[in-house]
Amino acid sequence: MGFIIPIGPQHPVHPEPLLMKFNVEGEKVVGVDINISYTHRGIEKAMEYRTYLQGIYLAERICGICNAAHTTCYCQNIEQLLGKEPPPRGNYLRLINEEMGRIHSHLLWLGLAAHQIGFDTFFMYVWRDREKVLDLIELMTGNRVITSYNTIGGVRRDITPTIIEKIRKNLDFLEKRTKYYKKLVNEEPTVLMRTQNVGILKPSEAVNLYAVGPVLRASGIKHDIRADDPYGVHDEVPFNVITYDTCDVYARILVRIDEVLESINMIRYCLDHLPSGSFKLRMPIIIRPPKGESISRVEAPRGELLHYVISDGGIKPYRYKVRTPTLANIPATAKMLTSRGDYEVYIADIPIIFGSIDPCICCTGRVLFIDIEKNRRWIWGYDELVRYSNKRFERHD
Amino acid sequence: MIEILLKFIEIIVFPGFIFIGLLSLFYEWIDRKFYAKLQNRVGPLYAGPHGILQPLADFIKLLSKEDIVPEAADKILFTMMPIIFFSLSLLITLNLPITSIHGIISFKGDLIFLVAMLTIISIVVYVSGEVSTSRFATIGAERAILQLLGYEIPFMLSLISIAISSNSITLSEIVLAQKNIWYIFTPNIIAFIIFLITGQAELERIPFDIPEAEQEIVAGWIVEYSGKKLALFRFGRDIETLFIAGLGATLFLGGPLGPVIPGLETLLYTIYFIIKSIFILLILTTIRAIFARLRIDQVLSISWKYFIPLSLIQLLIVRVIY
Repeated sequence: MGFIIPIGPQHPVHPEPLLMKFNVEGEKVVGVDINISYTHRGIEKAMEYRTYLQGIYLAERICGICNAAHTTCYCQNIEQLLGKEPPPRGNYLRLINEEMGRIHSHLLWLGLAAHQIGFDTFFMYVWRDREKVLDLIELMTGNRVITSYNTIGGVRRDITPTIIEKIRKNLDFLEKRTKYYKKLVNEEPTVLMRTQNVGILKPSEAVNLYAVGPVLRASGIKHDIRADDPYGVHDEVPFNVITYDTCDVYARILVRIDEVLESINMIRYCLDHLPSGSFKLRMPIIIRPPKGESISRVEAPRGELLHYVISDGGIKPYRYKVRTPTLANIPATAKMLTSRGDYEVYIADIPIIFGSIDPCICCTGRVLFIDIEKNRRWIWGYDELVRYSNKRFERHD
Repeated sequence: MIEILLKFIEIIVFPGFIFIGLLSLFYEWIDRKFYAKLQNRVGPLYAGPHGILQPLADFIKLLSKEDIVPEAADKILFTMMPIIFFSLSLLITLNLPITSIHGIISFKGDLIFLVAMLTIISIVVYVSGEVSTSRFATIGAERAILQLLGYEIPFMLSLISIAISSNSITLSEIVLAQKNIWYIFTPNIIAFIIFLITGQAELERIPFDIPEAEQEIVAGWIVEYSGKKLALFRFGRDIETLFIAGLGATLFLGGPLGPVIPGLETLLYTIYFIIKSIFILLILTTIRAIFARLRIDQVLSISWKYFIPLSLIQLLIVRVIY
């Protein structure tokens, strides 16, 4: 092994715990080893000890920024088990909330990306304008970040014409600013120098390594759960799937900026075509779905999100499984971060390349065992993990 | 006796150590406040009116912090480097003509001395990174030297252009030569632009803060320094900022020269110097705010592809005219 640079578990631009060991030659990165198992929060296990209603609030806390996507996914899952559909107005409001979450997440990421290439002024401006969408989320749901908006069978609040008026006004502002940022990214020479031909992920590699979300779309693959497998009312609300084919960090920035603009248009469409009527199904206090299992997929801001539930007919899920987009993007990141052939990665590119997948480590922790002395590695399957966690859980209970 | 006392006061109080120290803290405040304004923030606010005492407060706070020396570091060099860095910055700043056309230290050929000292400061940076034995510090130190290869030659060429124009390598004579017209209004304008950009690289500020890139290598060469040592480094950097701004004012904006009322020369010269150097400082701050950080290989290629040829063209122009 050569000169190893550790990035993480504590590092100024990645406050989340993850360790990347870079093998470098001078400024060039020749190898990378990513360790993501610093945060095992036991959320899936905790789900098994909560009722279905309590589970919403747990699902919301898997990830702070994409909480709208997580709760949408969770509620859809339980509704599928119950065989019920929320009323149309509830579905539309859910979509508005989800798209606002996307705008919020993408703008936050855009600021962080600017910070990662050392462009702090851009960072400050984007985060200032992000406040507008946070205001809207607060106006609509009552909370700024963790919205607690979705519930099984619809949403928890209705919106009034005054709120709609305000949303339209702020959306106009956001659209103007986002277009300006797109122009800035396209014209500022130092931004172009730092993002073009950096973090290349070819389309074939992206597909083979199961990349998801904006990373996949920036590699020119047209894949979006909202279009491919529409959930909620996504089949009624028109939108374009944004793709760029330069396959680099620059393309990922543009994909996200364009998605913000698409989301703004989607919210406008929803406000124009908002059906009247009830926004929530009346559900029993104790939800007891029939025996069975269900899968639900949602396009979270970071990519495809998958929730899976097994019900044994009780008031708590028998098993709950979450597959977050960042986990799916980690193998692709390792590919992007390794120099090969003509493509060279420098130490200076590490933050922006890793940042370009919009990492969210707190929802990504996994367990892999490596015994270095015996040179053995193994992964615990479902049964072993359940046995181990049951043992641990009982001891601490 | 009185003369010695006056000389002593000149070196210690005005325009010597204390004046330069306070002025550099004031410049740091201007830098931070203006940078914050450009970014739509408020900047320092609480210590003193409009936060003007914030740099001093930061300095005092750092002095009181715990001073940690890494186990594996070379203890003697590790302790010496901040002191050398600080005293070198102070030494070169004493050369600047502030109260009159002569600096406190003034001799024939001091421009060359200043350039040499600036290079030694870069080498001090390298050694400080290298002796602290951290991985990030090692990479930062290497980057500092690589960057030196990029910016130093155009920096020197821009100074040489001034030296040719004024036919002198002494600061006081260069100032006198600008009695009628400042060099910024002559064809030396290319040299001025190159001076600003390479000065930014000398000060390790965005887009050239590569050796201490926070997002990439935490704090680069400075990462292991804490407490008093970090305070000295930061204070030294402030004084160096004052030096670059002042040198720009001296070489291109006529130094302390300006219309004077007889009897008030010292005061007016000082005010002119401060105004001119703040102008340079504001340009440097604006550069800091409007760019992203470059990569080290990009800095080198830009420097060798554009800045050095441009500087040579500038030299040709100046040689033909003067």
